This record gives sequence, structure tokens and C-alpha cells, in this order.
Amino acid sequence: MTYQLVIEPLGECIEVAEDQTILDACLRQGVYLPYACGHGLCGTCKISVLDGEIDHADASNFALMDFERSEGKTLACTARLKSDVTIEADIEEEPDQRRIQIRDFTATVERVENLTHDVKSLRLRLDEQTIDFQAGQYINLTLPGVEGTRAFSIANPPQESDYVDLQIRLLPGGKGTSYIHQTLKAGDKITLSGPYGRCFVRKSRGGPLLFLAGGTGVSSPRAMILDLLAEGYAEPISLIHGVRTRADLYGEAEFTALTKVHPNFRYIPALSSEPETSDWSGERGFVHDVSERLYDGLFEGLTAYLCGPPPMIEACVNTLMRGRLFEKHILTERFLTANDAKKTAKSPLFKTL
Amino acid sequence: MSVKKLGLRQRYEHMTRGLDWETSYQPMDKVFPYDQFEGIKIKDWSAWEDPFRLTMDSYWKFQAEKERKLYAVLDSFAQNNGQTNISDARYINAVKLFLTGISPEEYQAHRGFAFAGRHLRGAGTRVAAQMQSIDELRHLQTQVHTISHYNKFFDGLGEFPHMHDRVWYLSVPKSFFDDARSAGPFEFMIAIGFAFEYLLTNLLFVPFMSGAAYNGDMSTVTFGFSAQSDESRHMTLGIEVIKFLLEQHPDNLPIVQKWVDKWFWRGHRLLGLVAMMMDYMLPKKVMSWKEAWDIYFVEAGGSLFQDLGRYGLKMPKYADIATEEAEHISHQNWAVFYQYTHAAAFHTWMPDAEHLDWLSAKYPNTFDKYYRPRWEMWAKMEKEGKRFYNGALPQLCQCCQIPMAYTEPGDPTTICFRSSKYKDDTYHFCSDGCKDIFDAEPEKFSQAWLPVHQIFQGNCGGPTVPDVLNWYHLNNGVDNMDYVGSPDEKIWNEWHAENTRKAV
Repeated sequence: MTYQLVIEPLGECIEVAEDQTILDACLRQGVYLPYACGHGLCGTCKISVLDGEIDHADASNFALMDFERSEGKTLACTARLKSDVTIEADIEEEPDQRRIQIRDFTATVERVENLTHDVKSLRLRLDEQTIDFQAGQYINLTLPGVEGTRAFSIANPPQESDYVDLQIRLLPGGKGTSYIHQTLKAGDKITLSGPYGRCFVRKSRGGPLLFLAGGTGVSSPRAMILDLLAEGYAEPISLIHGVRTRADLYGEAEFTALTKVHPNFRYIPALSSEPETSDWSGERGFVHDVSERLYDGLFEGLTAYLCGPPPMIEACVNTLMRGRLFEKHILTERFLTANDAKKTAKSPLFKTL
Repeated sequence: MSVKKLGLRQRYEHMTRGLDWETSYQPMDKVFPYDQFEGIKIKDWSAWEDPFRLTMDSYWKFQAEKERKLYAVLDSFAQNNGQTNISDARYINAVKLFLTGISPEEYQAHRGFAFAGRHLRGAGTRVAAQMQSIDELRHLQTQVHTISHYNKFFDGLGEFPHMHDRVWYLSVPKSFFDDARSAGPFEFMIAIGFAFEYLLTNLLFVPFMSGAAYNGDMSTVTFGFSAQSDESRHMTLGIEVIKFLLEQHPDNLPIVQKWVDKWFWRGHRLLGLVAMMMDYMLPKKVMSWKEAWDIYFVEAGGSLFQDLGRYGLKMPKYADIATEEAEHISHQNWAVFYQYTHAAAFHTWMPDAEHLDWLSAKYPNTFDKYYRPRWEMWAKMEKEGKRFYNGALPQLCQCCQIPMAYTEPGDPTTICFRSSKYKDDTYHFCSDGCKDIFDAEPEKFSQAWLPVHQIFQGNCGGPTVPDVLNWYHLNNGVDNMDYVGSPDEKIWNEWHAENTRKAV
């Protein structure tokens, strides 16, 4: 049994299981609420319940006072839903975030193409509908015979709204990607929901932008960059796209062409495992090393968007922070499952990184 | 006209904005004279992220209800003679040490945060420091209420403010806070806000509060719950302070690192008293100090410093030594207090057989080899009527002010001595950590008020132990010496004899 939870002031709506705490549900959806002790004692995660019914569970009488209970306050770390609920939480409002309702879509696979030896591009044409989203967001795909949903970033800009393009690498042993690579074909029907995610461009902040992408992580920067250029964003935009070898690189022709039309756009493909002897004359090394070189190790003043596998994100965050770019200016989407969250002990030092 | 409702955060901003106006008839640097000499560079105070958006009006409302609840529990504890239901009267000695050692420091923290709130320029910082300042004062008040209850039945608590300024072991927490309070406002925030209230607070708080719960001290447990909702604010403030300083300017990193190194080590030394409390003074044990250290410092601190590493901040210097000492420090401290029980305002005892076995099990690497034989010998001497007292005054470490009883890293049978020369005098230290702290600020630490030096200089009431105890306002033969034979033990036994009689 699940309930709907609307989180104000974001207006975001998420699903919450019956025995799940509000805090847990929010963090899993990438909505950061301030919290500390995690078990009802400290009161850091106090929220207002605007509508609906909740159970305070183990909230301490000192952390959540009687008068607060009667004023509709609760602690996100212990509260469970008893109905659909709307809460208001202490969340920084993002002036660039649009309130877009999450919807379910049915789509038809229009084409499946090889981008490289192990990456396919998928175009899903929506059946008699269009999708409203912000560049950088993702959708959840439901695949026949595969339990749960799979999250993929939308590779096309929001100006192209009657289909979604996805770039999907085959993960050895991965059920979802195996299905897509081996079974899915043009003409198949598929269902998806979206848009999700908070890694959209903070356009109102302005200033130069740095996109760091690893592998198929380049799909959402592609959407964001196409969107920005289409809108005439005039500040410098740089994209560093890291892959292993020449054979893994795709999108080069398109990005190079864009640099010709838009002098404020810079494109740097970087290969980490290209044989020394090859005729590749571009950058070599991991994305974080290449960015450190290109920026002389100083990133102050930029806003960086990071998309790629967790080790790459981690390395890039470290490099950026050493170069004095901090959490507020580093944006990334974390796809956390229940197991990931438990795997590494995190200190409360960072909210999103 | 319809106006959009303000979010929680915006409402908070409206309630606090404008507190940082530019002064016009005095230059800002004269109004805030202390926030530059430490070398910390702040480019943009407005980048301070207030970790808890609590406005003063809601603060009052919130704390008022909390206090009502807490005092209701304290009252009912008193009315129901809760003191007769604790596990054993030995437990009260842990309370005595905590309340006489820490309560006056709550007051020092109150004053320190008031100072920081006045002298840091950022509005967010000032509001946060102001609230923490009031919290600390409230904590002192509630602890004094607890003291006043236990003081009706047990000895050693009545003169706590007087003792705080004079008694040799109380000078350990006192000097810790004096050091922080006489530092600049940024160092104070790192020392107390970050190192004490964040990095080390769980080691102080969790063992003490669960110790109270295990031993039936519901008044202290309730205080713990009540304080925890404040503590969480203090912890987030500590985290914000360090992030803010590290993000503001690269030149801040070495300064902050130096402070983190210093206050980690000073905190580790101070917490040695808590270590002894956990391993020796709780009749019902919670966990060993070593276990607490592993959970709250090695694990939680480890992940914190891994994250802080992104800013270039390193694990505090000598953290490895402190972890090694976690297997020794409680035993070495208890040995000191046992030998000097005649000069302490709480009682000591040798662990009984069951307790010895618990210690052996919790400290398989060290207890049987280095400490158990000594305890067994002392117990034997007691039986033979030759209870061991150390009649000589101990040499104190110039920095932490603890008697020089700690051993060399890697060699638990050799006492560790370090020294430094400064202006023709030689100063002595218990460890490299304490020596480093002195060497970085010799002018400050050379002025330390060391209890033993003061006795020798004739400033403590006279040359004999009874003279000094008198000057301490320590009631000789009542407040001090072994638990067995003390008035505390007598009253406890009377209560229990009465209970047994009633039961029959």
C-alpha cells in the first residue's frame, strides 16, 4: 500500500510506502530535508503537515512538543503516512524549478540505433501526447518481465516534446539494459513515467557553465546544452565528455558542429584508456584530471553539472572542491537505492554530494 | 490582493534580515574588533547557511514548554525519592564528577557563545550563537537543579562553584574552557562549536545519558532528552562553522587545521574523565570506553574526516595515538583518582571480581597485562589495612593539567614525559599532543594556573593536605576517600535496610 506525498514549497509529488518514513521517502527521491539524528530525538527534520493524516510514531516528547503536534508539526524521520498527505518543509526554493506533474505515458519504440559497440540510442515516440520536462530530468521506464523501473536521463531538449531519446549502455548481467539491447525493437509498445529529478540548469544564476560527463552520462548534458543554446544562453559553456577509448566515443560530430555555430560552446572529448600509439590527438585522461588541467585547478565562479558513474562523480567533486567550487555550485543527480544508502557511512557534512 | 504565502525559509529570513547593517558613526572594524586578528578571511558573510531556521519568538515558546516538562520530571523524581531507586550509590560519584566538572563549563560555553554572537559580523552566525548561548545557560540551570536535589542526600556537590576554581582535577575542564574563551571568536567556534559540540559530543553525551538510564537516574535521562534537541542545533552549527570557514578563503585551511588538531587533542584529554566514568563508576555498565571510541570517533569521525578531506582538511594530528590510548586511558585515570582519593570530592573503590572480569573481556589487549595485577595488589593491600594513598603531589601537564600518568605510545610501562624551554623556564607535558599545543602558543600556556604549583607557592591555604582541602571547601572525611565507609554508603544502606524491612 502506498500513499501520495506532496512536498511544499516544491510542489513535488512522490509515492510513499505505508511503513516508510517521510524522510526516507524524500531522500530517496532526491528531495533533501534537513535532518540529523534520524530517530525522532533531535527535531532537526521538523515539518508542517498541511493536509492529510500522519502517525508521529517514535517522535520524542521533547523534540516534538504537544503544542507543535496540535499545530500540525511532525518529525519527518519518524512520521508515517495514514492517508495522502501534503507537507511543507524547510527546503530552499529553486527559482529555476518548474512545477511539472509526473505522468504516465505510453510510447512506441520508433528506432533503436547503435551509438557505439555497447551503447544504443532509443527514440520513444509518445502516443498522442507530449511530455513537458526540464532539460536534465529523467524518466522511469517499465520493461516487460523486468521487476521495478529503470531510470534514464532524457537526451533530447524539452523543445522536442513528442518523443524521448535515451542513450543506454549494455551493463553485463543487467536485466533492464539486456532487454533493451537484445529484445526491444522498433514498433514495440512501452510505458514510462516522468519527468523526475532536480538536476536541471539553474539558469537564473547565470555565469559560465561546466558540464562533466562520463560515458552515457552525456545524455542529460546534451539535453541541457541544446536547450541553453536554443535559448541563446550567452555565457561560456564547456562540456568535457570522458569515455574509455575512441571506440566508446559518440556524439562527437554533433557537438563539434555546435561549437562552429556557437562560439561560447566548447567541447572536449577525453579518452582515459586509449592506446598510447593511436592517432588520437585530443585530451587523454579521466574527466577530473582533464578538467583540472583545462582550468588550471581553479573552478571558482563556475556552476558545474556532473553526470556519470559514481566513481567519476566522486573524483570530479573532489577535484572541483580542491579548486574552490563548493556544494552550492556542483549539481548532480544521485540515483540511490536502498542498498546504496546503507553501504557507505555518510557524515552530515554535505546535503547533495 | 492575494499574496503568496512565504515558505519557512523566507519567513525566517524576514525575521532575521537587517541585523547586519553597516554602521555609520563608527567604522565597522571598531565595532567588531576581534574578528580579524586570527587571520581568518571572510569574503562574504551572507554565504553563511543558517543551519536551523528558528526565530527568537518560536525559540521562547519551544523552550518554555520543554522546561515545563523537564521540571515536572525533576519534581516528580524528587517527590518520589528517585534517588533511592538508582542502581547503587556508587553511581552518584559519576554524577558528582559530571556535574562539578561540566556544569560550570556550560556557563563558560554560554558566555563564549554570547561573545561570539557579539563579535562575529554575520547576521546568521550571530543569531545562531545567541541561541546557543541561551541554551547553554538553560543547561547550567537544569543541571544546578539536579545538583540541588542530590546535594540533599549525597556529599561533594555543595561547593561546586567554589571548587571549580580551585580543585586540582576540576582545573582540567576549567582550563579547557578558559583556553577557548580567551581565544578569538573563530577559534572559539571551532573549539567549542565544532570540536567539542560536534566531533566529540556523542562521546560525552551518549555514554553519560545511557549510563544514567541504565542506572535508574531518570532526572538525568530526562535532562538528556531535553538537551538533545538543543544539541542537534549545536551540532549543525559546528558543521556549518567549519564548512563556512573552509569555503570562504583558501588561507583559512591551515589555521582551521591547526585548531582542529589542537582541540581534538585537548578534547581527547578532557574526555579521559568520561572514559573513567564509563569503565569504573557506573554500577551497571553501558559499553566500554573503547567501544564508544570506536563507534563515535573511529567510525563516525572517520566518515566525517573523509568528507572534510574534500576541503583539504586532514584527520586531526595524533588521532592514531588517541585511538591507541582508548585502551589505556580509563585505567590510567582511575589509578590516579584511586591514589589521590583523599584529595577528590567524590569516592573511589577497587572494582569487584565481576567488574574485573568485565574489564578483562572489554580490554583483552591491555587489562590483564597492565592493569588487573595492579588492581588486585591494591585490593589486597586494602584487605591488609594498608590502603595505598599517594602522599606526594603529582607533577601536572602544563597544557591539559592532568597529572603526568600517561604512558609512552607503544610502551604502556613507561610514563611519557615531554618538555619545552620558554624564556629560561622548563615546562612539562604528558604527551606530544600537549607539547605541540604549548609550543604553538607558549606565552599563553606559560601563564597557566596549575593547582600543584599553586600549592607549592603557598597560594592554596597552607602546606598540608588538610589545609588545602579546607581551602577547597572539601569536607575532609566526608566528601573524599573510599566509598566504603563513607556517609554516602551509610545513607544508601539505611534506605535499603528500610526497604527490606518494609518488604518483610
